[in-house]
Amino acid sequence: MKRLNLVVLVLFVGFLGVLFTLGPSGTQKVQSTVLGLIAPFLRTGSGLEKKITAIRTGLKSLDQLEKENKALIVHNKQLQSINATLRDLESENNRLRRALHYRERAVFQLVPARIIARDSSSWWNTVTIDRGTADGLTPEMPVVTEEGLVGKVTVVSENAATVVLLSDESCRISVTVEGTREQGIVSGERESGGGTPVISMRFLSKMADLKSGQKVVSSGVGGVYPPGLMIGAVKEFKVRELDGYATLLPAVDLATLEDVFVVTGRK
Amino acid sequence: MIPFFFILLAVSFLSVVVQHFIPPLSFLHGARVFLLPAIMLYGALALPFGFMLALAAFCGLMWDALTVQVIDVSVGASIKPVVEIALGWSILLYATLGAVMSGFRPLFLRGRWEIHCLMTGLCTALVVLAEFLMLSVRRIALFEGSFVYTPEIGWRIGGAGIVALFLAPLIYWLLSLLSGLVGYEPRVAFARKEDDE
Repeated sequence: MKRLNLVVLVLFVGFLGVLFTLGPSGTQKVQSTVLGLIAPFLRTGSGLEKKITAIRTGLKSLDQLEKENKALIVHNKQLQSINATLRDLESENNRLRRALHYRERAVFQLVPARIIARDSSSWWNTVTIDRGTADGLTPEMPVVTEEGLVGKVTVVSENAATVVLLSDESCRISVTVEGTREQGIVSGERESGGGTPVISMRFLSKMADLKSGQKVVSSGVGGVYPPGLMIGAVKEFKVRELDGYATLLPAVDLATLEDVFVVTGRK
Repeated sequence: MIPFFFILLAVSFLSVVVQHFIPPLSFLHGARVFLLPAIMLYGALALPFGFMLALAAFCGLMWDALTVQVIDVSVGASIKPVVEIALGWSILLYATLGAVMSGFRPLFLRGRWEIHCLMTGLCTALVVLAEFLMLSVRRIALFEGSFVYTPEIGWRIGGAGIVALFLAPLIYWLLSLLSGLVGYEPRVAFARKEDDE
Protein backbone atom coordinates (compact mmCIF):
# COMPACT_ATOMS: atom_id res chain seq x y z
CA MET A 1 0.00 0.00 0.00
CA LYS A 2 1.31 3.44 -0.90
CA ARG A 3 2.33 5.69 1.98
CA LEU A 4 -0.24 8.36 1.07
CA ASN A 5 -3.04 5.77 1.06
CA LEU A 6 -1.89 4.52 4.44
CA VAL A 7 -1.96 8.06 5.86
CA VAL A 8 -5.48 8.60 4.47
CA LEU A 9 -6.61 5.26 5.89
CA VAL A 10 -5.25 6.14 9.36
CA LEU A 11 -6.97 9.55 9.21
CA PHE A 12 -10.18 7.86 8.04
CA VAL A 13 -10.15 5.35 10.91
CA GLY A 14 -9.38 8.15 13.38
CA PHE A 15 -12.28 10.22 12.02
CA LEU A 16 -14.60 7.22 12.34
CA GLY A 17 -13.39 6.59 15.87
CA VAL A 18 -14.21 10.18 16.85
CA LEU A 19 -17.69 9.94 15.29
CA PHE A 20 -18.48 6.58 16.90
CA THR A 21 -17.65 7.90 20.36
CA LEU A 22 -19.76 11.06 20.09
CA GLY A 23 -22.47 11.29 22.74
CA PRO A 24 -26.00 12.62 22.20
CA SER A 25 -25.00 16.29 22.56
CA GLY A 26 -21.97 15.92 20.27
CA THR A 27 -24.11 14.11 17.70
CA GLN A 28 -26.72 16.86 17.82
CA LYS A 29 -24.02 19.51 17.37
CA VAL A 30 -22.74 17.78 14.21
CA GLN A 31 -26.31 17.32 12.98
CA SER A 32 -27.12 20.95 13.70
CA THR A 33 -24.07 22.08 11.68
CA VAL A 34 -24.99 19.90 8.70
CA LEU A 35 -28.63 21.00 8.91
CA GLY A 36 -27.47 24.64 8.99
CA LEU A 37 -25.46 24.02 5.80
CA ILE A 38 -28.25 22.31 3.92
CA ALA A 39 -31.19 24.43 5.17
CA PRO A 40 -30.76 27.34 2.69
CA PHE A 41 -30.80 24.81 -0.18
CA LEU A 42 -33.89 23.09 1.22
CA ARG A 43 -35.62 26.46 1.57
CA THR A 44 -34.79 27.35 -2.06
CA GLY A 45 -35.82 23.85 -3.19
CA SER A 46 -39.12 24.17 -1.36
CA GLY A 47 -39.82 27.48 -3.17
CA LEU A 48 -38.89 25.95 -6.54
CA GLU A 49 -41.10 22.93 -5.87
CA LYS A 50 -44.08 25.23 -5.22
CA LYS A 51 -43.40 27.16 -8.46
CA ILE A 52 -43.12 23.96 -10.51
CA THR A 53 -46.38 22.66 -9.02
CA ALA A 54 -48.08 25.95 -9.93
CA ILE A 55 -46.81 25.71 -13.53
CA ARG A 56 -47.98 22.10 -13.81
CA THR A 57 -51.42 23.06 -12.50
CA GLY A 58 -51.55 25.86 -15.06
CA LEU A 59 -50.67 23.46 -17.90
CA LYS A 60 -53.37 21.05 -16.80
CA SER A 61 -56.08 23.71 -17.00
CA LEU A 62 -54.77 24.70 -20.45
CA ASP A 63 -55.27 21.11 -21.63
CA GLN A 64 -58.84 21.14 -20.40
CA LEU A 65 -59.51 24.44 -22.11
CA GLU A 66 -58.28 23.19 -25.48
CA LYS A 67 -61.10 20.68 -25.53
CA GLU A 68 -63.67 23.45 -25.24
CA ASN A 69 -64.89 26.01 -27.71
CA LYS A 70 -61.98 27.54 -29.64
CA ALA A 71 -63.34 31.04 -29.48
CA LEU A 72 -63.42 30.99 -25.69
CA ILE A 73 -59.99 29.48 -25.10
CA VAL A 74 -58.07 32.65 -24.34
CA HIS A 75 -60.83 34.13 -22.23
CA ASN A 76 -61.38 30.89 -20.35
CA LYS A 77 -57.67 30.45 -19.71
CA GLN A 78 -57.43 33.91 -18.17
CA LEU A 79 -60.49 33.39 -15.99
CA GLN A 80 -59.42 29.96 -14.85
CA SER A 81 -55.94 31.11 -14.03
CA ILE A 82 -57.27 34.04 -11.98
CA ASN A 83 -59.74 31.72 -10.35
CA ALA A 84 -57.06 29.17 -9.46
CA THR A 85 -54.87 31.87 -7.97
CA LEU A 86 -57.79 33.22 -5.95
CA ARG A 87 -58.72 29.73 -4.79
CA ASP A 88 -55.14 29.14 -3.69
CA LEU A 89 -55.14 32.46 -1.89
CA GLU A 90 -58.51 31.70 -0.30
CA SER A 91 -57.34 28.32 0.96
CA GLU A 92 -54.07 29.80 2.22
CA ASN A 93 -56.04 32.62 3.84
CA ASN A 94 -58.37 30.13 5.52
CA ARG A 95 -55.46 28.02 6.67
CA LEU A 96 -53.57 31.00 8.09
CA ARG A 97 -56.77 32.40 9.64
CA ARG A 98 -57.37 29.06 11.38
CA ALA A 99 -53.75 29.00 12.46
CA LEU A 100 -53.95 32.57 13.78
CA HIS A 101 -57.13 31.82 15.73
CA TYR A 102 -55.50 28.73 17.14
CA ARG A 103 -52.43 30.69 18.11
CA GLU A 104 -54.60 33.30 19.90
CA ARG A 105 -56.76 30.64 21.57
CA ALA A 106 -53.94 28.34 22.61
CA VAL A 107 -52.70 28.27 26.17
CA PHE A 108 -49.14 27.79 24.90
CA GLN A 109 -46.59 30.17 23.48
CA LEU A 110 -46.40 29.13 19.84
CA VAL A 111 -43.85 29.83 17.13
CA PRO A 112 -45.38 29.39 13.66
CA ALA A 113 -43.22 27.41 11.21
CA ARG A 114 -43.44 26.15 7.66
CA ILE A 115 -42.30 22.71 6.51
CA ILE A 116 -39.53 23.14 3.96
CA ALA A 117 -38.55 19.51 3.39
CA ARG A 118 -39.59 15.97 4.19
CA ASP A 119 -37.22 13.21 5.19
CA SER A 120 -35.77 11.29 2.26
CA SER A 121 -34.79 8.12 4.13
CA SER A 122 -36.68 4.83 4.26
CA TRP A 123 -36.96 4.28 7.99
CA TRP A 124 -37.27 7.65 9.69
CA ASN A 125 -40.27 10.01 9.57
CA THR A 126 -39.06 13.56 9.99
CA VAL A 127 -39.66 16.97 8.46
CA THR A 128 -37.51 20.09 8.33
CA ILE A 129 -39.08 23.39 9.41
CA ASP A 130 -37.91 26.93 8.70
CA ARG A 131 -37.37 27.98 12.34
CA GLY A 132 -34.33 27.44 14.52
CA THR A 133 -32.36 28.70 17.49
CA ALA A 134 -32.82 32.26 16.20
CA ASP A 135 -36.55 31.86 16.95
CA GLY A 136 -35.98 30.36 20.39
CA LEU A 137 -36.31 26.69 19.42
CA THR A 138 -34.53 23.98 21.38
CA PRO A 139 -34.59 20.18 21.08
CA GLU A 140 -37.52 18.32 22.70
CA MET A 141 -40.07 21.10 22.06
CA PRO A 142 -43.46 19.71 21.01
CA VAL A 143 -44.79 20.61 17.55
CA VAL A 144 -48.53 20.96 17.04
CA THR A 145 -51.24 22.20 14.69
CA GLU A 146 -54.76 23.28 15.53
CA GLU A 147 -55.82 19.64 14.95
CA GLY A 148 -53.36 18.08 17.38
CA LEU A 149 -49.83 16.87 18.05
CA VAL A 150 -47.37 16.53 15.15
CA GLY A 151 -44.16 15.44 16.91
CA LYS A 152 -41.16 17.04 18.59
CA VAL A 153 -38.05 18.99 17.66
CA THR A 154 -34.88 16.89 17.65
CA VAL A 155 -32.12 18.84 15.89
CA VAL A 156 -31.94 22.64 15.78
CA SER A 157 -29.69 24.85 13.66
CA GLU A 158 -29.85 28.65 13.52
CA ASN A 159 -32.67 28.89 10.97
CA ALA A 160 -33.99 25.35 10.59
CA ALA A 161 -34.95 22.41 12.73
CA THR A 162 -35.71 18.73 12.33
CA VAL A 163 -39.02 17.49 13.71
CA VAL A 164 -39.55 13.80 14.32
CA LEU A 165 -43.17 12.99 13.51
CA LEU A 166 -45.41 10.94 15.78
CA SER A 167 -45.59 8.38 12.96
CA ASP A 168 -41.90 7.58 13.61
CA GLU A 169 -41.25 4.43 15.62
CA SER A 170 -38.83 6.26 17.93
CA CYS A 171 -41.35 8.99 18.85
CA ARG A 172 -43.08 7.66 21.98
CA ILE A 173 -45.87 9.57 23.66
CA SER A 174 -47.63 8.75 26.89
CA VAL A 175 -51.37 9.02 26.23
CA THR A 176 -54.74 8.58 27.78
CA VAL A 177 -58.07 7.66 26.20
CA GLU A 178 -60.72 10.33 26.70
CA GLY A 179 -63.59 9.27 28.93
CA THR A 180 -61.65 6.33 30.42
CA ARG A 181 -58.77 5.80 32.83
CA GLU A 182 -56.85 3.86 30.19
CA GLN A 183 -53.25 4.93 29.61
CA GLY A 184 -50.81 3.71 26.99
CA ILE A 185 -47.85 4.59 24.83
CA VAL A 186 -48.34 5.79 21.27
CA SER A 187 -45.65 5.34 18.63
CA GLY A 188 -45.38 5.02 14.88
CA GLU A 189 -44.72 1.89 12.87
CA ARG A 190 -41.57 1.32 10.82
CA GLU A 191 -43.50 0.82 7.59
CA SER A 192 -45.41 4.09 8.01
CA GLY A 193 -43.08 6.32 5.96
CA GLY A 194 -44.55 5.78 2.50
CA GLY A 195 -48.27 6.41 2.24
CA THR A 196 -50.75 6.74 5.07
CA PRO A 197 -49.01 7.04 8.43
CA VAL A 198 -49.76 4.24 10.88
CA ILE A 199 -49.67 4.87 14.62
CA SER A 200 -50.44 2.46 17.38
CA MET A 201 -51.11 2.47 21.11
CA ARG A 202 -49.51 -0.20 23.30
CA PHE A 203 -49.46 -1.23 26.95
CA LEU A 204 -53.22 -0.81 27.43
CA SER A 205 -54.97 -3.06 29.88
CA LYS A 206 -56.51 -6.16 28.32
CA MET A 207 -59.88 -5.09 29.74
CA ALA A 208 -59.72 -1.69 28.00
CA ASP A 209 -62.45 -2.52 25.44
CA LEU A 210 -61.89 0.65 23.42
CA LYS A 211 -64.44 1.58 20.78
CA SER A 212 -63.66 2.89 17.31
CA GLY A 213 -63.69 6.70 17.28
CA GLN A 214 -62.71 7.22 20.95
CA LYS A 215 -60.30 10.13 21.21
CA VAL A 216 -56.72 9.74 22.42
CA VAL A 217 -54.86 12.67 24.02
CA SER A 218 -51.40 13.14 25.51
CA SER A 219 -51.28 12.47 29.25
CA GLY A 220 -48.35 14.75 30.05
CA VAL A 221 -46.34 11.94 31.67
CA GLY A 222 -42.65 12.26 30.82
CA GLY A 223 -42.71 16.04 30.64
CA VAL A 224 -42.01 16.53 26.90
CA TYR A 225 -45.61 16.79 25.70
CA PRO A 226 -48.15 18.86 27.62
CA PRO A 227 -51.32 16.99 28.65
CA GLY A 228 -54.48 17.22 26.56
CA LEU A 229 -52.96 17.43 23.08
CA MET A 230 -55.07 15.52 20.57
CA ILE A 231 -53.21 12.52 19.13
CA GLY A 232 -55.93 10.74 17.16
CA ALA A 233 -58.92 8.46 17.34
CA VAL A 234 -59.08 4.72 17.98
CA LYS A 235 -59.48 2.74 14.76
CA GLU A 236 -59.26 -0.81 16.06
CA PHE A 237 -58.64 -2.45 19.43
CA LYS A 238 -57.09 -5.90 19.88
CA VAL A 239 -56.23 -7.93 22.96
CA ARG A 240 -52.76 -9.48 22.86
CA GLU A 241 -51.13 -12.00 25.14
CA LEU A 242 -49.86 -9.45 27.66
CA ASP A 243 -51.60 -6.17 26.88
CA GLY A 244 -54.21 -4.36 24.83
CA TYR A 245 -53.19 -2.84 21.50
CA ALA A 246 -54.99 -0.26 19.39
CA THR A 247 -54.33 1.25 15.99
CA LEU A 248 -55.11 4.95 15.71
CA LEU A 249 -56.07 7.40 13.01
CA PRO A 250 -53.82 10.45 13.57
CA ALA A 251 -55.69 13.69 14.26
CA VAL A 252 -53.25 15.56 12.03
CA ASP A 253 -52.86 14.67 8.35
CA LEU A 254 -49.08 14.17 8.51
CA ALA A 255 -48.76 13.46 4.78
CA THR A 256 -50.04 16.87 3.61
CA LEU A 257 -48.89 19.01 6.51
CA GLU A 258 -47.55 22.46 5.53
CA ASP A 259 -47.75 24.78 8.54
CA VAL A 260 -47.08 23.87 12.17
CA PHE A 261 -46.52 25.54 15.54
CA VAL A 262 -43.66 24.85 17.90
CA VAL A 263 -44.66 25.00 21.57
CA THR A 264 -42.00 27.11 23.26
CA GLY A 265 -43.73 27.42 26.64
CA ARG A 266 -46.93 28.35 28.41
CA LYS A 267 -48.57 31.78 28.15
CA MET B 1 -8.41 14.61 -10.49
CA ILE B 2 -8.74 17.09 -7.64
CA PRO B 3 -11.25 19.35 -9.47
CA PHE B 4 -13.36 16.27 -10.28
CA PHE B 5 -13.21 15.14 -6.66
CA PHE B 6 -14.62 18.51 -5.58
CA ILE B 7 -17.28 18.26 -8.28
CA LEU B 8 -18.29 14.88 -6.86
CA LEU B 9 -18.51 16.44 -3.38
CA ALA B 10 -20.75 19.20 -4.74
CA VAL B 11 -22.92 16.76 -6.70
CA SER B 12 -23.25 14.54 -3.60
CA PHE B 13 -24.36 17.54 -1.55
CA LEU B 14 -26.91 18.54 -4.20
CA SER B 15 -28.19 14.97 -4.48
CA VAL B 16 -28.94 14.95 -0.74
CA VAL B 17 -30.96 18.16 -1.23
CA VAL B 18 -32.76 16.79 -4.30
CA GLN B 19 -33.60 13.50 -2.54
CA HIS B 20 -35.64 15.49 -0.01
CA PHE B 21 -38.01 16.64 -2.76
CA ILE B 22 -38.54 13.25 -4.42
CA PRO B 23 -41.66 11.68 -2.91
CA PRO B 24 -41.79 7.97 -2.05
CA LEU B 25 -42.85 5.81 -4.99
CA SER B 26 -46.35 4.51 -4.27
CA PHE B 27 -46.15 1.87 -7.04
CA LEU B 28 -43.13 0.39 -5.23
CA HIS B 29 -44.89 0.40 -1.83
CA GLY B 30 -43.22 3.59 -0.66
CA ALA B 31 -39.65 2.84 -1.82
CA ARG B 32 -37.44 5.93 -1.95
CA VAL B 33 -35.21 7.23 -4.71
CA PHE B 34 -31.58 7.37 -3.58
CA LEU B 35 -29.05 9.23 -5.71
CA LEU B 36 -26.24 9.50 -3.17
CA PRO B 37 -25.06 5.84 -3.22
CA ALA B 38 -24.79 5.85 -7.03
CA ILE B 39 -22.66 9.01 -6.96
CA MET B 40 -20.47 7.59 -4.20
CA LEU B 41 -20.01 4.31 -6.11
CA TYR B 42 -19.11 6.16 -9.31
CA GLY B 43 -16.47 7.99 -7.25
CA ALA B 44 -15.15 4.63 -6.03
CA LEU B 45 -14.63 3.59 -9.67
CA ALA B 46 -13.23 6.84 -10.99
CA LEU B 47 -11.06 7.97 -8.07
CA PRO B 48 -8.05 6.42 -6.32
CA PHE B 49 -8.44 4.74 -2.91
CA GLY B 50 -7.62 7.78 -0.75
CA PHE B 51 -10.08 10.03 -2.55
CA MET B 52 -12.72 7.29 -2.40
CA LEU B 53 -12.35 7.18 1.40
CA ALA B 54 -12.66 10.96 1.63
CA LEU B 55 -15.79 10.87 -0.57
CA ALA B 56 -17.25 8.05 1.58
CA ALA B 57 -16.58 10.12 4.71
CA PHE B 58 -18.34 13.15 3.21
CA CYS B 59 -21.36 11.25 1.85
CA GLY B 60 -21.75 9.08 4.94
CA LEU B 61 -21.50 12.00 7.33
CA MET B 62 -24.04 14.03 5.36
CA TRP B 63 -26.47 11.13 5.30
CA ASP B 64 -26.07 10.17 8.94
CA ALA B 65 -26.30 13.75 10.16
CA LEU B 66 -29.61 14.19 8.38
CA THR B 67 -31.18 10.87 9.33
CA VAL B 68 -30.01 9.43 12.64
CA GLN B 69 -31.96 10.37 15.73
CA VAL B 70 -31.17 11.08 19.33
CA ILE B 71 -34.00 9.40 21.19
CA ASP B 72 -35.22 9.32 24.79
CA VAL B 73 -34.94 5.99 26.53
CA SER B 74 -36.26 5.07 29.97
CA VAL B 75 -33.50 3.96 32.30
CA GLY B 76 -35.13 2.94 35.56
CA ALA B 77 -37.23 5.89 36.65
CA SER B 78 -35.38 8.45 34.55
CA ILE B 79 -35.28 9.19 30.84
CA LYS B 80 -31.96 9.75 29.12
CA PRO B 81 -31.10 10.71 25.53
CA VAL B 82 -29.38 8.01 23.48
CA VAL B 83 -27.94 8.10 19.96
CA GLU B 84 -29.98 5.54 18.04
CA ILE B 85 -27.31 4.74 15.43
CA ALA B 86 -23.92 6.40 15.86
CA LEU B 87 -22.77 8.93 13.28
CA GLY B 88 -20.28 7.16 11.05
CA TRP B 89 -22.02 3.89 10.28
CA SER B 90 -22.90 5.02 6.78
CA ILE B 91 -19.29 6.14 6.25
CA LEU B 92 -18.11 2.64 7.10
CA LEU B 93 -20.77 1.14 4.86
CA TYR B 94 -19.96 3.43 1.92
CA ALA B 95 -16.23 2.84 2.29
CA THR B 96 -16.75 -0.95 2.35
CA LEU B 97 -19.03 -0.90 -0.68
CA GLY B 98 -16.67 1.54 -2.41
CA ALA B 99 -13.74 -0.83 -1.82
CA VAL B 100 -15.75 -3.74 -3.26
CA MET B 101 -16.81 -1.60 -6.23
CA SER B 102 -13.23 -0.52 -6.97
CA GLY B 103 -12.51 -4.21 -7.62
CA PHE B 104 -14.63 -3.85 -10.76
CA ARG B 105 -12.59 -0.86 -11.98
CA PRO B 106 -10.70 -2.57 -14.86
CA LEU B 107 -13.98 -3.19 -16.71
CA PHE B 108 -15.15 0.35 -15.97
CA LEU B 109 -11.94 1.81 -17.38
CA ARG B 110 -12.63 -0.11 -20.60
CA GLY B 111 -15.93 1.79 -20.87
CA ARG B 112 -18.20 -1.09 -19.81
CA TRP B 113 -20.83 -0.10 -17.23
CA GLU B 114 -23.25 -3.05 -17.19
CA ILE B 115 -21.87 -4.82 -14.11
CA HIS B 116 -21.38 -1.50 -12.32
CA CYS B 117 -24.98 -0.43 -12.87
CA LEU B 118 -26.17 -3.80 -11.54
CA MET B 119 -23.81 -3.43 -8.60
CA THR B 120 -25.14 0.09 -7.93
CA GLY B 121 -28.68 -1.29 -7.65
CA LEU B 122 -27.49 -4.10 -5.39
CA CYS B 123 -25.35 -1.81 -3.21
CA THR B 124 -28.19 0.73 -2.82
CA ALA B 125 -30.49 -2.07 -1.65
CA LEU B 126 -27.72 -3.24 0.69
CA VAL B 127 -27.38 0.26 2.18
CA VAL B 128 -31.13 0.37 2.91
CA LEU B 129 -31.06 -3.22 4.24
CA ALA B 130 -28.10 -2.42 6.49
CA GLU B 131 -29.93 0.64 7.84
CA PHE B 132 -32.99 -1.52 8.51
CA LEU B 133 -30.98 -4.20 10.30
CA MET B 134 -29.04 -1.70 12.42
CA LEU B 135 -32.26 0.06 13.35
CA SER B 136 -34.01 -3.21 14.17
CA VAL B 137 -31.19 -4.49 16.38
CA ARG B 138 -30.88 -1.13 18.13
CA ARG B 139 -34.61 -0.73 18.71
CA ILE B 140 -34.96 -4.28 19.99
CA ALA B 141 -32.22 -3.45 22.50
CA LEU B 142 -33.55 -0.01 23.45
CA PHE B 143 -37.28 -0.63 23.50
CA GLU B 144 -37.27 -4.37 24.18
CA GLY B 145 -39.27 -4.73 21.00
CA SER B 146 -39.32 -7.57 18.52
CA PHE B 147 -38.01 -7.92 14.98
CA VAL B 148 -40.54 -6.42 12.56
CA TYR B 149 -40.70 -7.53 8.95
CA THR B 150 -43.54 -6.92 6.52
CA PRO B 151 -43.72 -7.18 2.70
CA GLU B 152 -43.69 -3.35 2.60
CA ILE B 153 -40.29 -3.36 4.29
CA GLY B 154 -39.05 -5.81 1.64
CA TRP B 155 -40.33 -3.47 -1.06
CA ARG B 156 -38.63 -0.47 0.56
CA ILE B 157 -35.31 -2.32 0.41
CA GLY B 158 -35.66 -4.01 -2.97
CA GLY B 159 -37.55 -1.10 -4.56
CA ALA B 160 -34.74 1.34 -3.71
CA GLY B 161 -32.31 -1.05 -5.44
CA ILE B 162 -34.50 -1.40 -8.54
CA VAL B 163 -34.82 2.37 -8.90
CA ALA B 164 -31.06 2.82 -8.41
CA LEU B 165 -30.41 0.13 -11.03
CA PHE B 166 -32.42 2.05 -13.62
CA LEU B 167 -31.03 5.45 -12.62
CA ALA B 168 -27.39 4.31 -12.50
CA PRO B 169 -26.67 4.53 -16.28
CA LEU B 170 -28.01 8.10 -16.37
CA ILE B 171 -26.04 9.13 -13.27
CA TYR B 172 -22.87 7.49 -14.59
CA TRP B 173 -23.29 9.20 -17.96
CA LEU B 174 -23.83 12.62 -16.35
CA LEU B 175 -20.83 12.17 -14.07
CA SER B 176 -18.64 11.01 -16.94
CA LEU B 177 -19.67 14.17 -18.82
CA LEU B 178 -18.68 16.31 -15.84
CA SER B 179 -15.43 14.38 -15.59
CA GLY B 180 -14.70 15.13 -19.25
CA LEU B 181 -15.57 18.80 -18.74
CA VAL B 182 -12.84 19.21 -16.12
CA GLY B 183 -10.41 17.15 -18.23
CA TYR B 184 -10.26 14.14 -15.93
CA GLU B 185 -10.07 10.80 -17.72
CA PRO B 186 -10.04 7.92 -15.19
CA ARG B 187 -8.62 5.56 -17.85
CA VAL B 188 -5.64 7.86 -18.51
CA ALA B 189 -5.15 8.70 -14.84
CA PHE B 190 -5.04 5.05 -13.74
CA ALA B 191 -2.79 4.03 -16.69
CA ARG B 192 -0.36 6.81 -15.69
CA LYS B 193 -0.50 5.66 -12.07
CA GLU B 194 0.34 2.10 -13.09
CA ASP B 195 3.25 3.35 -15.18
CA ASP B 196 4.55 5.36 -12.20
CA GLU B 197 4.37 2.28 -9.99
